[in-house]
Amino acid sequence: MMRVNADLYVKDVPGQLVAALEPVSIMEGNIVGVVHHRDQVMNDRIGVNITFDLEGGERLEKLMGIWKDRDVRVSRIGSVVEKFPMDYLLIGDISPSQLETILDEVRDMLGMESLDIRYSSVMESGSRTALINANFTSEENLSKAEDLIRELVRERDILAVRGLGV
Amino acid sequence: MSMDIVIAGFGTVGQGVAEAIGLRKDMIRETFGREARIVAAFDSRSAIHSEDGLDPAVLLSNKAAGQVGDEPLVDGVAFLESIDYDVLVEVSPTNIETGGAGLHHIRSALSNGRHVVTVNKGPLALAFGELDRLAKENGVEMRYEGSVGGAMPIINLCRESLMGQNITSVMGILNGTCNFILSRMDDGLPFEQALKEAQELGYAETDPSYDINGVDTACKVVILANSVFGIDCDYDDVDVSGITAITEEAVAMASDQNYCIRLIGEISPDRLEVSPRLISKGHPLSVTGTLNVAQVNTDLAGPISISGRGAGRMETASAILSDLLAIMRSNVNNK
Repeated sequence: MMRVNADLYVKDVPGQLVAALEPVSIMEGNIVGVVHHRDQVMNDRIGVNITFDLEGGERLEKLMGIWKDRDVRVSRIGSVVEKFPMDYLLIGDISPSQLETILDEVRDMLGMESLDIRYSSVMESGSRTALINANFTSEENLSKAEDLIRELVRERDILAVRGLGV
Repeated sequence: MSMDIVIAGFGTVGQGVAEAIGLRKDMIRETFGREARIVAAFDSRSAIHSEDGLDPAVLLSNKAAGQVGDEPLVDGVAFLESIDYDVLVEVSPTNIETGGAGLHHIRSALSNGRHVVTVNKGPLALAFGELDRLAKENGVEMRYEGSVGGAMPIINLCRESLMGQNITSVMGILNGTCNFILSRMDDGLPFEQALKEAQELGYAETDPSYDINGVDTACKVVILANSVFGIDCDYDDVDVSGITAITEEAVAMASDQNYCIRLIGEISPDRLEVSPRLISKGHPLSVTGTLNVAQVNTDLAGPISISGRGAGRMETASAILSDLLAIMRSNVNNK
């Protein structure tokens, strides 16, 4: 899912705003916000800033095509963020240095957007908990990261508690 | 004209079934124009039979006094094959390693052209495919709504109400004991203390290993995989992790991030799994206590959630009664 923010210019006549917003729904996008900039006038068109969530870059390309066909001009499109989150809780004999080495490798290999690791203190049994929150830039990389974590867990007899989406 | 029922296993659930049939006697007669009669019942030691039907209240009173019948029971299958009936309600104690007596009872009933209603997970988890084929070959129904989620009608929801949907996955909390323990761990209790409390309250068995090691949930995963997805699988095909390694530190860390930990059974065409998972607080699967809950993911309707009491005498009996009445409705030509 990506969040898109775009500055559009539409003709200042009835029906034009609908012509700009409707294609987002056609592409099964979810409009988060719309702001009219009536003070921003260019060639008899007024500015509209729109923020919406959309599934995948292919739909964004199609949406741009529809806007072009409907004479909706796009002056800027950006803040496109697509994140694939991975949440793991690892419980067992975890060595922070080993885990961080592995996750650093994962970050270098797979283009991790963000990574946060928290540890509990070591219990009497020697068990420790690590909570990993990471975001990946593609589903493919997320899947590869999961494979690496599964391997780590299997080798070291660690219980992995993962999020629902993984 | 009646539907004649045999109850195999007269423990808590069997007694609940007898009571439910007694309670709904008039409703059944008014709705279907025929009676649902208990013509026999047996437990591990004794049996009772009457072609004219047995009074549920008498069966319950017999059991309270010690045993359900006067006739000593030597062999459940031989007893079943010696009497005439329409539907076997199989609720004998479950055995996940061999299927126990219940597997033999169900095979016998289906082979002899009798419908079966069961909540016995052992036979279903070990031999679902065989029993399903046996039912079809003999032109009878095998129904098992109460085997997954007790009173929560997950199987009928998927097979009947969601007919026409492409169900992509089912995820759920299918064991109330584990959910109670994990809920109490949310309150700061260590695992051992939460388990002890569950045992004191009667939610966990003296030997809780089937529940806490995920075995019970895995059996339900097998039943859903076979019945909803048509996957020919058994217990050994499920990837199972239990909750015994969950520590209070892990629960606290998850909570700091607005998560709780729940034992989830997941069924999809490419995944049969039981494992503890991180669930966002407020998610439909983040229920507390002994509740069961399931989320059915569909292509047209999106996610659909259902919850209910996963166990208990009358809760489970209600699911069995529903299956009995479904058989009654669809088999108008029974005697």
